[in-house]
Amino acid sequence: MKFYVCIKMVPDVAAPFQIKDGELIMDADRMVLNAYDASAVEEALVLKEQHGGEVEVVCIGAAKASETIRKALAMGADKGTHITTSGDEGFDSGSYAAILSAFFKDKEYDILSLGKQSQDTDSGLTGSMVAQMLDLPYATNAVGLEIEDGKLIVKRQGDSGQEMIGLPTPCAVTCSNDMNEPRIPNLKGIMASKRKPIDTVELSSLELSEDELSPASKVTSYEHKPARQAGKKFEGEADEVAREVAQLLDTEANVL
Amino acid sequence: MSSILTYIAISDGKIKRSSLEVLSRSKAIADANGLDCDAVIIDANASTFTDSVQQYGASKIYVVEDPIFIQHRNTPLLSALSKVMEQSKPNVVAFASTEGTKDILGALAANQNAGVVADVSSFDVTGNGVLAKRPVMAAKIMGNVEVSGDTVLVSVRSGSYDLVESPASAEIINIDFSIEESDLKAKLREIISATGDTIDLNEAESIVAAGRGVKDEEAKNLISELASVLNAGIGASRALTEAGVYDPSLQIGQTGKVVSPQLYIAVGISGAIQHVAGMANSKVIVAINKDGDAPIFEVADYGIVGDLYKVLPPFIEELKKIKG
Repeated sequence: MKFYVCIKMVPDVAAPFQIKDGELIMDADRMVLNAYDASAVEEALVLKEQHGGEVEVVCIGAAKASETIRKALAMGADKGTHITTSGDEGFDSGSYAAILSAFFKDKEYDILSLGKQSQDTDSGLTGSMVAQMLDLPYATNAVGLEIEDGKLIVKRQGDSGQEMIGLPTPCAVTCSNDMNEPRIPNLKGIMASKRKPIDTVELSSLELSEDELSPASKVTSYEHKPARQAGKKFEGEADEVAREVAQLLDTEANVL
Repeated sequence: MSSILTYIAISDGKIKRSSLEVLSRSKAIADANGLDCDAVIIDANASTFTDSVQQYGASKIYVVEDPIFIQHRNTPLLSALSKVMEQSKPNVVAFASTEGTKDILGALAANQNAGVVADVSSFDVTGNGVLAKRPVMAAKIMGNVEVSGDTVLVSVRSGSYDLVESPASAEIINIDFSIEESDLKAKLREIISATGDTIDLNEAESIVAAGRGVKDEEAKNLISELASVLNAGIGASRALTEAGVYDPSLQIGQTGKVVSPQLYIAVGISGAIQHVAGMANSKVIVAINKDGDAPIFEVADYGIVGDLYKVLPPFIEELKKIKG
């Protein structure tokens, strides 16, 4: 099985940041492998260990993004491709999906996997966009993956429970971070990663049109959320206050 | 005539309330901007829902009815939505941000060459697209997003808008649709029905979280029962996951999961700052705690000071009545 895992370098959402005149200011050193993508890498590695094959990671980004590729290689991925950009194009999900589909259109693979969303923006659009552009059968929000008779069996979290979906290969899948605990690279993995190949692909070589690349959406500004206020406190006979609050959740808070 | 089309999500034979919230918003936008407010229902029994949808002001209702839609499947849903969009040519298509929507939104945007913005907490239309506000950076802050395009798709978090009835007599438009099970490449093998502990906390609409006050099996059972009544995910404070009472993946807080459900019920949780960091963006917070001075009450919308063993049984019973 040939796995391609698309990974992204994103801000550490736990790192401190500021908003100044609507702009988000973050420490540039606090960039990490997107947690959902780390789960996708982990799952591909587990399936490779069980069934054999090769795991290749693909990352779009500026020069610094190669650190994220090294991280995935240190976890155990076999090789990486870095699609290089300036990093300040303001790409949106559609731009990333267009780049990935242009890259994959002449590639051979069985399973194309991605994190289900980026931890900074939480949009969750790129995966199904890529599947559509490449005309691949797909499943999103996977919480478990297995390979059975050359098919990918996806357990996904849906609206009314978990669904088991069988996908013929080649296919695409987006991964939840609830599917596994990504391994922390050990020293041996880190040393080995330095000898693993990273191919560099210039964005221009993918011959995408201005129209395909230009983002349809842009963030115009950021703002803080209003702070929370304490609400009502109910003290008294347990039976009475419990029923009163239950009723209020229905009639006043409207959340039932 | 320009229009805004709202997708009405059906799950388990019921209209998802969140899609009627979105329709209410679409109706307000349509009225303010001179747009048509249309709706689309795609389900095995789609036509049975048109009366309910008319109550929220849709002037045209597109109905796609086929047995294939008895369960969520992305391929048929995509092709049905594409067909309706090609016929109705909407400027904006609005969705409730359900798992079903998340599964197809990007693909539909790519298929229809539309702009798209997901999981917003508010939106409005402009001359050439949509303006929206959405939580980013683990819901710590809001981003203002501008999307341009002849067609823009937008998905809206549940609870962002109130239901507003606006009864209208809608024109019902049946769309011919058929797809064979055998033509689908992705095969649905099995549905594993929902139980409290399999609900993804990051996306759960309701969460029941247990803290140090949950000490024994009886209390754990009350937590499970409450979660089951609300179809809620179960979370826990660090104290309980470290003690091995709940699985580590259920930890909510700065070092665990950061959640923002519509309803968060903290049971026996004191509300240490590390815990609050993980749940302060919940829409409505209920706290149940013996200690009236516990810091959790500073962020709770509804605080019940009392013993969880005495509070939870009547609370659960009353919720069952309301839900039933």
